Order: sequence, then C-alpha cells, then structure tokens
Amino acid sequence: MSDDDERGEEYLFKIVIIGDSAVGKSNLLTRYARNEFNPNSKATIGVEFQTQSMLIDGKEVKAQIWDTAGQERFRAVTSAYYRGAVGALVVYDITRSSTFENVGRWLDELNTHSDTTVAKMLIGNKCDLESIRAVSVEEGKSLAESEGLFFMETSALDSTNVKTAFEMVIREIYSNISRKQLNSDSYKEELTVNRVSLVKNENEGTKTFSCCSR
Amino acid sequence: MDEEYEVIVLGTGLKECILSGLLSVDGVKVLHMDRNDYYGGESTSLNLNQLWKKFRGEEKAPEHLGASRDYNVDMMPKFMMGNGKLVRTLIHTDVTKYLSFKAVDGSYVFVKGKVQKVPATPMEALKSSLMGIFEKRRAGKFFSFVQEYDEKDPKTHDGMDLTRVTTKELIAKYGLDGNTIDFIGHAVALHTNDQHLDQPAFDTVMRMKLYAESLARFQGTSPYIYPLYGLGELPQAFARLSAVYGGTYMLNKPECKVEFDEGGKVIGVTSEGETAKCKKIVCDPSYLPNKVRKIGRVARAIAIMSHPIPNTNDSHSVQVIIPQKQLARKSDMYVFCCSYSHNVAPKGKFIAFVSTDAETDNPQTELKPGTDLLGPVDEIFFDMYDRYEPVNEPELDNCFISTSYDATTHFETTVADVLNMYTLITGKQLDLSVDLSAASAAEE
Repeated sequence: MSDDDERGEEYLFKIVIIGDSAVGKSNLLTRYARNEFNPNSKATIGVEFQTQSMLIDGKEVKAQIWDTAGQERFRAVTSAYYRGAVGALVVYDITRSSTFENVGRWLDELNTHSDTTVAKMLIGNKCDLESIRAVSVEEGKSLAESEGLFFMETSALDSTNVKTAFEMVIREIYSNISRKQLNSDSYKEELTVNRVSLVKNENEGTKTFSCCSR
Repeated sequence: MDEEYEVIVLGTGLKECILSGLLSVDGVKVLHMDRNDYYGGESTSLNLNQLWKKFRGEEKAPEHLGASRDYNVDMMPKFMMGNGKLVRTLIHTDVTKYLSFKAVDGSYVFVKGKVQKVPATPMEALKSSLMGIFEKRRAGKFFSFVQEYDEKDPKTHDGMDLTRVTTKELIAKYGLDGNTIDFIGHAVALHTNDQHLDQPAFDTVMRMKLYAESLARFQGTSPYIYPLYGLGELPQAFARLSAVYGGTYMLNKPECKVEFDEGGKVIGVTSEGETAKCKKIVCDPSYLPNKVRKIGRVARAIAIMSHPIPNTNDSHSVQVIIPQKQLARKSDMYVFCCSYSHNVAPKGKFIAFVSTDAETDNPQTELKPGTDLLGPVDEIFFDMYDRYEPVNEPELDNCFISTSYDATTHFETTVADVLNMYTLITGKQLDLSVDLSAASAAEE
C-alpha cells in the first residue's frame, strides 16, 4: 500500500456519520450505498461501513463510510471511530428538536478526536415528514453557517438529496486533499515507513488518507 | 437499562473488550459498561491533558508540548508479537480492519553495561557484538537447533525429550556462558525471571521459535508490531466488534454495583438507581474488590522526550530489556519507546516507558538504571500500581474476573488469560490455530 507513484492511482476517504439515535443515520447510508430503506430498522446491528466509488476528474474516488454501530445510543462512540476521518455527516431529525439541539455536542466530540476532517455537512433528515416538522429549514441553515458546515435536508425514505449530500462531501474532500497533497508528501512518506499489513489488502496501491494526511 | 442480559461486562480494558466481542459474535446478549468516560480502563492511552490530570492533578498541560489530542500515552506499554496470540485473535475476529500497524524498529538488551541488539537467528548470532568469537559459534549452533526443532519430528530432537530436560541442562549441552543465557532467556524467550532454567526446556524453545518466526514474518528488525495511535485503539476496536454484533455500550456509569442473590450468585448490576439483570458478570478486578487478592506491584516511569533512546540506532520504536541479573534484581526491567511516527505524540516527540515488578517503595530510585538509558527528558512521571488476581469460584457466583495486566513486554499472557476466561464462560475452546494459514498468507 506504499506504491504512491503507480499510475491509475485511487483515493480512499474515511467519512463518519454521527448524530443522535434514530435520526436515520443507517438508513441514509444504506439508501446511498445500496438504494435500500428499512422502515423497521431498530438500533443499528451488524452495520460496519460501506464503500462507495465515484469518478472525479477521471479518477476513481472511494469513500469508506462508517456507521456508529449503535454506540451513540448511550454516548459511547469510541474515539477510534473518528480517527483519520476526512469527512463527517452530522445528522438530526427535523421532527425532533432535541436531536437538533444536540448537534453542538456531536461537533465537539468530532473536533476533540479528529483534526483531519476537511469536509463537514449538517443534515436534517426525514424531510418527507413535513407535517410534523419541528426544526425549520432556516434554523438548520443558520446553524450550518455559524459552524462552517455544508447544509442539506434529506429523506432516506424517498431518497431526496441523499446521493447529492454524500457526493458533495466526497467532492469537497477530494479538492481539499488534492491541494494539500502538494505540500505534505514528505511528512506522509515518513509516516508510512514500516507499515505492515496483517491481512491481504484488497485495495493494494490505494491511497488511504484515513491516517496519513495528518 | 432495566433490561435483561445474558452477560454484563464491567470495565472496557483490552481483556474485557476482547471477551465482549467474542461473546457478541457468538450471539450472546451483552451489556458493556465502564465507570470512566473513556474506553480502555487500565489499558487505555491518555491524551496530554488526561495524563496531566492523572499524575499532576492539573487539568492543563504546558503549551510547549503541543496539542493534547496528538498524544496517546499507553498506560500498559507492550508490543505485539508479529506471530503471537493477539495477532491471531485480531485475524480470527477480523478486527484488523479497524486498525493500522507498524513494525517496531528495534529489539535490544542491556548486557555488560551496554545497550545491544538482540540476535535471534544463527546469522544474527554470528554478527552480534554481544559475544566473543567462540561463544558466537556455540550460540549459532543452539539457535540452529531451536530453529529446526519440530515437536512432531523426533529427528529434530537431538535425542532429548524437552518436556523432561530442563532449560539449564539444554543450555549446558551447548556450553553457553552466563551473559548469553541471560539474553536468550530474557530478551528472546522473554521470561521475566530465572525460574525457567529449572523447568522443562520445551516452553523456552517454543518461546524462542515464536520470537524468530515473528521476526521473520514482517522482515523487520524486531519481532514486534504496534498499532498507530497507541494500544488504546485495541480495546476500542474489539468494543466496536461487540457493538456491530449487538452489544450495548454505556460509558461514564458511576458505581456499577454488582448484585447477588442469597445463594451468592450474581443477578445484576445497579448504576444510578437502575438495575440491569444478568446471568453472568465479566469484569476487571476493580469492579469486585472483595473477590480478588493483591499479587504484586508495578513501578513505572513515563517520559516525554525530543529524541530517540540513545544507542538504539535512532529507532522510533524500540524495546530494551534489562535482565534481572545485570542489575542484581529479582525481576527484569523493561524500557519502551515509540514516537510521532506511530501517531502517539506530535511531530518530533517521543514517549518512553520504564517498568518493572516493584521491589522497593521508591520507583524513582528503583527505575534509575532504566531512566538513565533515556538521556535528557522533557517531562517524566513516576508511579506504582497494584496487581490483582481473582480468588472466587466462577461456578459458584457466575463472576468471571480478569487478572491485572502483568509486566511482560508483549500480549501473550494477556490473551492466554482471555482464552481461559472464554472457556470458563462458554464451556467452549476458541481455536486460533485455524488462523495460522491466514496469518502466514499475509506474509509479504
């Protein structure tokens, strides 16, 4: 995984999804990665991360998107979860204002554990439930502006904006990394010395920015 | 929290997290709690502010040391044997996907007043400056015997039954001198004292083979590997495994009082006025202080430095073992170092540890032979902590208590305790041998 000079290089970005329980984090992820939606999904069990690819400037860019595995339920998300994340989606439920009020705590936790996040997006999910909306679009927008986040309302149920939101984050990471890369190669080189792989790496020759871009 | 679980795990140290992960994968309904607001218990890695709070009682560390979050200082410094039980457990559970590792640069031993590289193969023995010319040849022959030795092939046994012959007798056969016996026993076989000399040689030979095979595995300059961001990542990775398989996690739960019925069997855990019911408890010694006894004390020093340990070929990660005899002590002293190249400190900084089984009440004086090897330090902390082992009978109370982490330099005894507990809890053996092929397939 160290052959950075190979032609046809690929990019692999780690993106985390955070936010209160039952705001639809897992359903956003499965809608984006598999175009599925499960109305009965309870607390997250068995979801790891999903890898999705997209083409940018003719290059294959892969996003490895992590789900909290239910550890957010009692606020026990590991610091390791945030390690090396270059993108983050902070999700709230537009029908429950408590989930919106907690966005600040999630941002604090993200900033405490990661200084590598270059693209963050605030997502108001369940926008198909307009009739019981509790957080207005304006409130979402203004919080995003004051915290320097992208903002979008989505619906994992009817697919509104889901693909757009993820791809916007991935594009933003890509443009940031490509620029940053010009200056950081020597330090990164130093950090990858002696790296060992315990399992056969399927993505050989893939650039991982999850832990090298510090 | 007022639910019923099959197993409640208390404490998120490495042992508890591995067990939690294995049990959840088996389909057991697990609740995992910790009184701290962070993962890892005794085996956590602290950031700079946490470190200051623990040792200096102050919330904030001096600014010149850099950002607090750039530090991950291990509270239980150890390295992982490249071919050891922890690596096999990681591969068996596929937890490797949450972690990145680096080979450790150097493995050294302090003999005759000098820090010297540990030779572990016949080739290295011949190049080593640890021994004179004739001793090198004798040691080379001994290493060849060990390398060839195959339990199942009597032709490689050289006419000896290693389950009967003692280590002392085996070594006598090759005519090795005291210093060679010292570095082989302590820096290759990684014994913590000299008891092995009077015990059957089989264990020592297998330990030497583990060292040599681990060394060969990553073609590095030591048999060890180490996770980026520190050892505190390990419990968290197993906790994620448990959560992915349905384990419930709660941090920052004060008290965590274990409740028993009149027969003395565990029935649940109470915290903040709520009781979660369970059939079994798995925990570290601190959660059931009445069911453990003290078995020893560890003295340690933690140093922040701006340079690698002198005389270790500028290694960014290194282990130096000081065998007991070299210091006229009863137990070995261990020196570890890792650096910013493992993401455990900001650029240019190194973290060094010195630890030993305490023989006095004054860690600063006792650890001096080890801290003297470090050169100048930016900051240094000294402390001591007690070690415990369980004295209860799990079949009577359904409490499964881990033993405190010992002073060994790697995770072999840690995982052995976990596997033993797993068998006690489930009645099943965890077979890690099947993964050997997977492990060797990963050789590159």
